[in-house]
Amino acid sequence: MRDVAIIGVGMIPFGRRDEDTLLDMLAYASLKALDDAGLGDKSVDCVYVANMGAGILQHQTSVASALVDRLSLIPAAADAVENGPASGASAIKNGLLAVASGYYDTALVAGGEKMREVVGWKATDFVATMTHPEAEYPYGITLPGMAGMFTRLYMEKYGVTREQLLAIAIKNQKMGALNPYAHVEMVITKEGIYDSPDAVVNNPVAADPLHLYDMCPVSDGAAAVVLCPLELAKKIAPKSPVLIAGFGQATDTHTLQERDDPTDLKAVTLASQQAFEMAKLKPKDIDVAELHDAFTILEIAESEHAGFFKKGEGGKAAEKGETSIGGKLPINLSGGLKARGHPVGATGVAQIVDIVFQLRHELDKKRQAKNAKNGFTINFGGFGNNIVAFVLRRVE
Amino acid sequence: MAVDMELEAVLRAPEIPQAKYPPKVITLANSKKMVVREAERRDVPILLKAVKPTMEIDRDFYDIVGARLYAELLGWYKHRVRNEYCLIGQIDGYVVGIVNGRMVNKDIGMSYHTLALDRGLRVGSHLFASKMEHHIEYLGQKEVWITAESPIGFRRWMIEYGLLEQEGIQHELGGANSYKLTREIYFETKPRLVAGTRPVPKRLLEQAEKEILVADEETITEKICGVKGR
Amino acid sequence: MMEELGITAYKCKKCGRVHYPFHDRCLSCKSREFETIKPEGAAKLLAYTQIFNLPWGFDVRFLIIGVVEFKNGVKAMGQIKADSLDKLKTGMKMKATWEPIRVQAGEDIYGLKLASIK
Repeated sequence: MRDVAIIGVGMIPFGRRDEDTLLDMLAYASLKALDDAGLGDKSVDCVYVANMGAGILQHQTSVASALVDRLSLIPAAADAVENGPASGASAIKNGLLAVASGYYDTALVAGGEKMREVVGWKATDFVATMTHPEAEYPYGITLPGMAGMFTRLYMEKYGVTREQLLAIAIKNQKMGALNPYAHVEMVITKEGIYDSPDAVVNNPVAADPLHLYDMCPVSDGAAAVVLCPLELAKKIAPKSPVLIAGFGQATDTHTLQERDDPTDLKAVTLASQQAFEMAKLKPKDIDVAELHDAFTILEIAESEHAGFFKKGEGGKAAEKGETSIGGKLPINLSGGLKARGHPVGATGVAQIVDIVFQLRHELDKKRQAKNAKNGFTINFGGFGNNIVAFVLRRVE
Repeated sequence: MAVDMELEAVLRAPEIPQAKYPPKVITLANSKKMVVREAERRDVPILLKAVKPTMEIDRDFYDIVGARLYAELLGWYKHRVRNEYCLIGQIDGYVVGIVNGRMVNKDIGMSYHTLALDRGLRVGSHLFASKMEHHIEYLGQKEVWITAESPIGFRRWMIEYGLLEQEGIQHELGGANSYKLTREIYFETKPRLVAGTRPVPKRLLEQAEKEILVADEETITEKICGVKGR
Repeated sequence: MMEELGITAYKCKKCGRVHYPFHDRCLSCKSREFETIKPEGAAKLLAYTQIFNLPWGFDVRFLIIGVVEFKNGVKAMGQIKADSLDKLKTGMKMKATWEPIRVQAGEDIYGLKLASIK
């Protein structure tokens, strides 16, 4: 297997993009990534497109074929990858394997989703289609609902507090406000969402015990990366390449109820361990991470299951500022899903793009993790039933 | 234009005396303080400046809400809508939201429009709640009739408040079946939907009353549509 | 309301693990032989939440949803009949019934309904 590097990244601002179609967004992000890789007028060997919902939301299928056509990448091999909210990281894994195997030299991986095409409760329904069609979906369960049940159990077992969840929400919206690609650009305060008597109206319960500001928004957006063998990258990349040092992927039961301990996100632990092992690194070696905080509780739970903190300690660390910029392990300096937004098919790719920005040291100092060498991501599918983790390394 | 006051006296129907809405202050999610208070008829020209750009925004029914609110406020200003009132939300003096309605009679209130000029802070939601508070607690009415022009409004008002559908009863705005808020529903939902404290600290109230500031058209459009037109 | 719960669970003939919903192979031993069983005995509440912002198709302000475990090991999700979470507690006993849980295309869809035992 060859070492594979990321030589170009591109992203468009997430949010509500009424003016763009799904293909527009995928094309814009891809062109930015191709330009960034110095391949603006060249082709690539293969293309992977991450998308979860075009078939439902846009009534459109075969988005990978459509994208190569838009980008004049014909006759590149092209596949669409649908793996729920982990589609993005899954697509990158496929691109990585295609290049690592030696079969292809260059791969474009783009992820995109256009969720604001439909009203909020239809988007909620669309996301809920990943639940079990017989044992879960008919009851009206939503992903926030799954997260609500998980949060209560996690609080009961590990003593996670509402204040710790608030700390995540406030930190990530603060970072999002500094990120030009973020959907949510509004700073929130503990006073406004918790302490003030008006907070009960500002921040109502959404899926008990989670509140409105514990949730990520519903977003449109796209992101893309270009991959090639590290040796080739050293010759052609206009910017410093970033090595995909390790990856891992693991699955778990479809329904939460069939897990022996529903608070144990085994797939997160396994995927992270695989990624660290392949990279020959340990959690303590990571300088910056992008975790899948679709709900504030997930940032805490993932940070623990990935091995950065002991169970029950992740929330405390966040509250103490250890996961903020300048802290021991800055998490979600992009604002995370909470503020960058969560266009489901785009998220896993966007996380990698943000870590590449960090490892190339090209962000404003308010968002740049100092001397970042190793980065880590978790893209969380279903409710923890399909997890993809990556370890990225700066190439000096 | 010279106004024929004799004819005008015929056209201006007598109004029911209306209780004033006492100002309150709401702490928003970002800690900004929004003063909610009743606008005076003389404030209308400046409020129209704030509403005007929304008439061009073809998003979430802002255009229709903006156009109708513009007309209603103008109608009130020129004495062509009876028993109308208007509440505004101000942050640092700037108007960030406008709601209006009127008294049909002593017992029935008619909710007109809710326009949020800043989004993501639940300004519209807070102002709609203030409007219900005004009808029930200060105007002392038994019920408020409501209709929704946007899906957001429908979800927010009809479902969140649990309003009663009034089959076949036409709201003054036309449209689909109307819904009503009763005193019972209001007091049941008040703890979770009606925010704000009184009295408003002197400095904040003085700032709000001193001048109603209106952002420029571009800023209003950007705040409503987001800056993601990039 | 129907007396019999419309849930069919699957008990592995080899290792005894109880599955719901259906799997083609046992999650523990990969055996393909199952005995079908029905949920039996009292139901214990394992997890619950109150959900606002419901998906398309529910014209109510909220749903309370939980997961229970029956005495014979069957675990299943259901809608909880309650006005609030005030009286719910993880581990409490629930009574299960089979009742309409939503309407699709004008038809009632039946599912598990749960209520606390007074």
